Amino acid sequence: MDFNYDDNQRMLFDMVDRFLADKHDLAKREKLLKDPAAEAALWSEMAELGLMGAAFPEEVGGFGSSPADAYVVMERFGRHLVTQPYLYTAIIGGRLLIEGLSGDAREAAVAGVIGGESQLALAAGSTTMLRGAEFTSFDAVKDGADWKLSGRMPVVLNGDRATELLVAARTAGSLPDREGVTLFRVPANAAGVSRRSFRTIDMFGAAEVVLDGVAVSADSVVGAVDGAVPLVELALDHGVAAVCGEALGSMEYLIEATAEYTRTRVQYGAPLAKFQVLQHRMADMYIQTQTAKSIALVAAMSLEGDADERMRQTSAAKVQVGRSAKFVGYQAVQLHGGMGVSEELDIGHHYIRLNVINQLFGDGSHHLQRFDALARKAAA
Amino acid sequence: MDLSIDDKVQALRAEMQDFFARKLPPEFARKTLAGEKLTKEEHTQWHHILAEKGWHVPLWPKEHGGPGWGPMERFLWEEESGLAGAPRLNHVSQDLLGPVLIAFGTPEQKAELLPRIFSSEDWWCQGFSEPQAGSDLANLQMRAIRDGDDYIVTGTKLWTSYAHVSNKIFCLVRTSTDGPKQAGISFLLVDMEQPGVTVSPIYTLGGMLSVNEVQITDVRVPVTNLVGREGGAWDITKFLLGNERLMGAWIGVNMALARQLRYRLEQPGPDGQPRSADAVLARRVAEAETDLLALRYTTYRVLADEMSGKAPGPEVSVIKCRGGEIMQTLTELLMEVAGSEGMAYPASLPHDGAAIVPFELEHAAQNFFDKRKVTIYGGAAEIQRNIIARRLLNV
Repeated sequence: MDFNYDDNQRMLFDMVDRFLADKHDLAKREKLLKDPAAEAALWSEMAELGLMGAAFPEEVGGFGSSPADAYVVMERFGRHLVTQPYLYTAIIGGRLLIEGLSGDAREAAVAGVIGGESQLALAAGSTTMLRGAEFTSFDAVKDGADWKLSGRMPVVLNGDRATELLVAARTAGSLPDREGVTLFRVPANAAGVSRRSFRTIDMFGAAEVVLDGVAVSADSVVGAVDGAVPLVELALDHGVAAVCGEALGSMEYLIEATAEYTRTRVQYGAPLAKFQVLQHRMADMYIQTQTAKSIALVAAMSLEGDADERMRQTSAAKVQVGRSAKFVGYQAVQLHGGMGVSEELDIGHHYIRLNVINQLFGDGSHHLQRFDALARKAAA
Repeated sequence: MDLSIDDKVQALRAEMQDFFARKLPPEFARKTLAGEKLTKEEHTQWHHILAEKGWHVPLWPKEHGGPGWGPMERFLWEEESGLAGAPRLNHVSQDLLGPVLIAFGTPEQKAELLPRIFSSEDWWCQGFSEPQAGSDLANLQMRAIRDGDDYIVTGTKLWTSYAHVSNKIFCLVRTSTDGPKQAGISFLLVDMEQPGVTVSPIYTLGGMLSVNEVQITDVRVPVTNLVGREGGAWDITKFLLGNERLMGAWIGVNMALARQLRYRLEQPGPDGQPRSADAVLARRVAEAETDLLALRYTTYRVLADEMSGKAPGPEVSVIKCRGGEIMQTLTELLMEVAGSEGMAYPASLPHDGAAIVPFELEHAAQNFFDKRKVTIYGGAAEIQRNIIARRLLNV
């Protein structure tokens, strides 16, 4: 057993860290958020560095040694509060391309992501924070050899920057049947697609997407017709492992930053770090982070192989990491006092992102219930 | 033991409910309940609506134009106005400074300043916290040095709510560095509309603007602006904080949040079923509701003790701790139940054409993150626990 990063992962870790160290602090992030051209340029640099390729195995043209490599990248992103859509494009979108396409179509689609030209957004799950394709609010009907897609989704994460939308649409059955949902590739500039952009509370980009009879050909189907639910489920489990990594990077940063702050902030004639109640609070933050880290790493290592085992581990990780992230983020803000709630400090921004991560791809309640269902199935 | 409330008080509650139903502009309630801030103009409009009824200075005695309410009536006011989604008035002026001036002000101060609060002409903000004086308020450094008939004031106040819309500030200032820290602090009224006073906004989580930094540099303040005696601010501060000690429960506001949560729970979720079909979620909501009920009766119990003449104990800290925590839980649940539609950064939403997310969800996340402050300000949760422990352990 080994919970440490291997040599390749270590190199990746150092590379991302060096890259972000001079490119991405809070002040630079503020500038990026106001400058789409600069965001696009950063994305290209990330692609040139090879970060997109790390999310893809060699057989499809990438250089990732395992899906756990993406965890390494995301952990560093979490530490540096990166708001770039790596998660949606390379990890979730990428996984859908890997598993749902084949041959030349796959090669071309993956190359577009690795090269930094394509950005992807998964439009699925209606008003959930991307949970389950079965809840989609899009419909698709057969029109000769083509499909026609219609519907509206209020919050499509990375919908603003995506060049291609991966749209889960109901093709048979009815809400919330797991059968009868199909995944389609829809160019974001296709006729009948309209988008209105905004940001979510964590400053990631999003858009309302409206499809009004958008025509796509039969070869734009990703995976099997009517079979999108398990495919999306797999991709979202990769997303779960990735955001667990991101949360860990963020939590470890918050513990360091809070320790540093409490060592220097003096109230009642002593540094805050001298007050035992606050020492214990930070010890609890550490306990929460350590237990979360173990199960998060296990989730990242369980993405390949048996589906039930993958779901069991990712659900356990999502529950524990969500709970830990909320606690650690809350206490980091609390111990920073007023400074913690100010937008001028990165502490509060980490706290916001940790709360969004808790909601993404099914919250604790959803994953507890999925874990429970799998445990019952195993016991039966 | 008896849970009943006096008929006269019950009648007042009904009168308040009726008043809100008829007079509170629905748009104001809608904004307040959704966690959106009202403009100063809207606040002023609400002030004048309340003034017609004589309820715009709810803590003031009759001789100064207030309703002359006792503790129970005041508490009902908090409960009913919170529940109705009534905007909080210019609370710092009317509920904090007003009673201080009535109790400690000179006849000249009362004559000049009370009418200006009464008419909403003056908007006061409270200059207490400083960069080095948060929980440790007595550590404050803003200096006021006596020079003839003036003080010369220099220093920085931090986290000053509504300073950006106020024209006056009351400050705790250090007039002496001798003896115990508390004894060198004075309560001084400062006009903000003069050179040497600079207000810088501090944006808080989710892009909210309600707090500021106020810098005061070499500003001359007449000695007649001192409230109480020089070095006497600590008692005034205790009086001021005591006036809002049951406020920290946020009972009315929390009840309004719980009511919204109940409503959302019965709306269909993404699977077409009411959200209450999610057993884990339904349980968390019910737990928050039982917590709130227990807090509500704790507040009533403290109130009943107070009316029977019992001195307030550390229960007030119990109320503040739980009130803040419950508010955080309720706003958290409201954010979570709203799903992706509750996750927008409000300032970034386009408002051309149909709304992208329903109005009542637009501020769900911002409101949750904004409520992080309630366990930090006015004596952090840790300080409240210190107070409880000190009384409990007698150390």
